Amino acid sequence: MTASSTKDQEGMTLGVLNAFRFRLNTLAIVLIPVCIAIDWAGHALASTLKLPLFLDSIGTVLGGLLAGPWVGGLAGLITNFISSGTVDPIAAPYSIISLAIGIAAGIGGYYGWHKTWPGRIALYILIVLVASIGSTPLNVNLYGGQSGVAFGDTVVYAPLVKAGWPTWLAAYLDELSGDLPDKLITVVVAVLIYFGLPNRYRALFSVWRRPSGEPEPAPAS
Amino acid sequence: MAGGLSLYAEGTSLLHRAHPLTKGVLTLSAIALAFIAPSLWWVVGILVVLLALVTAAGVLRRFFAVALAILLPITLLLLAVQGFANPLNRTVVFALGPIVYYREGLAFAALAALRIACLVSATFLFSFTTRPADIAEALMQRGLSPRMGYVVQSALQIIPQTLEMAGRIQDAQRARGLETQGSLPRRARAYLPLMLPLVLSSLVATQERAMALEVRGFGLKVKRIARYEFFDSTLQRALRWALALAVPGAIVARVAGWR
Repeated sequence: MTASSTKDQEGMTLGVLNAFRFRLNTLAIVLIPVCIAIDWAGHALASTLKLPLFLDSIGTVLGGLLAGPWVGGLAGLITNFISSGTVDPIAAPYSIISLAIGIAAGIGGYYGWHKTWPGRIALYILIVLVASIGSTPLNVNLYGGQSGVAFGDTVVYAPLVKAGWPTWLAAYLDELSGDLPDKLITVVVAVLIYFGLPNRYRALFSVWRRPSGEPEPAPAS
Repeated sequence: MAGGLSLYAEGTSLLHRAHPLTKGVLTLSAIALAFIAPSLWWVVGILVVLLALVTAAGVLRRFFAVALAILLPITLLLLAVQGFANPLNRTVVFALGPIVYYREGLAFAALAALRIACLVSATFLFSFTTRPADIAEALMQRGLSPRMGYVVQSALQIIPQTLEMAGRIQDAQRARGLETQGSLPRRARAYLPLMLPLVLSSLVATQERAMALEVRGFGLKVKRIARYEFFDSTLQRALRWALALAVPGAIVARVAGWR
């Protein structure tokens, strides 16, 4: 970008912004592996505390909120790739769901949903819908409708199918029974961490969402 | 390379020496074929081939240790739930009072479990014989953006570090009186005080890392040259094509009435 316009002031600002954005690009790339590691650590801590939840997408949601749909989506996708190659191959087909969760969080972050209460609830509902609607067809193909989680399969799926409900509906409710609490904690923790970050860092990562000329989004908190 | 995360086992078998892409195509095709194949015996056949390859790679013992820990619980869960509750259930196998176990559900669960066993075996066949760094390297030589290559490589290095840090933070918070055992609400309350410091410290390091990369020309738009080339051959290339084409072939066969 050349700053040779007669409007010196504007040219300067644009040039600075571009340089800044360029560096942020690298920063956003560097953020992705960190989000992946947060996904892993969230799951590991949940296991050590013996919590009955996965909590393996906190980094994905946080990455989406901080730096947009691409950072969130890629973090989710690669988290699943790595875990399917090392500890849990069954996670591989669900990569696509993690990608969608990261993109959903990124879109929520773009509109600043995490800053207001109705927005936070909307973010939670959106992520639950993306996760549950996306996972159900995979569950049907992999496990014949079960979710692979002992609680949902024995308490939700089996009785409903026994009672004559259609398998897809039982499969959806089975998946939902896991996603409702799991994604609630995920979104709550991600938003809490977001607001626990030093302002400086939030500002660093969030420049992506401000195309030149657009007014600054609502200030945080 | 990837510390405690990678499953890679050193070896000199044919599979270890094969081009990473050949193994990748083999894994993906085997999984796809296991899910396309119509009946139990076809899936058993694929599983036998995969296990033979695992044996040939010399990692059978390690494979069983890891794979059984994943496959056993899910197989039991499938057998239990489908045997009692499957819409196809007609033929009774046994009945214990009100609990009736059916044959159709059992067959359904066996097929699903075997397909999952193929998925697990094919994936581990790849992870046991391929160095994680080689995957990213091979993909970058085939046009994957070097930035994505960095993301994968660096994630593989950061994850063990972060998990180690999680352990340290856990000890520190426990020393300050944080309860990490006891009832579920109590354990749940401990989650945030463990998670927050971990995330904050790992995020704070990113800016320095980004600057270090920039200084080394990470953001430059130049053509990258590979440090080393993987051995590839016409045979492997042909094998890759054959495996990749077997998948659409199987789908066509299924549509045409393969039972």
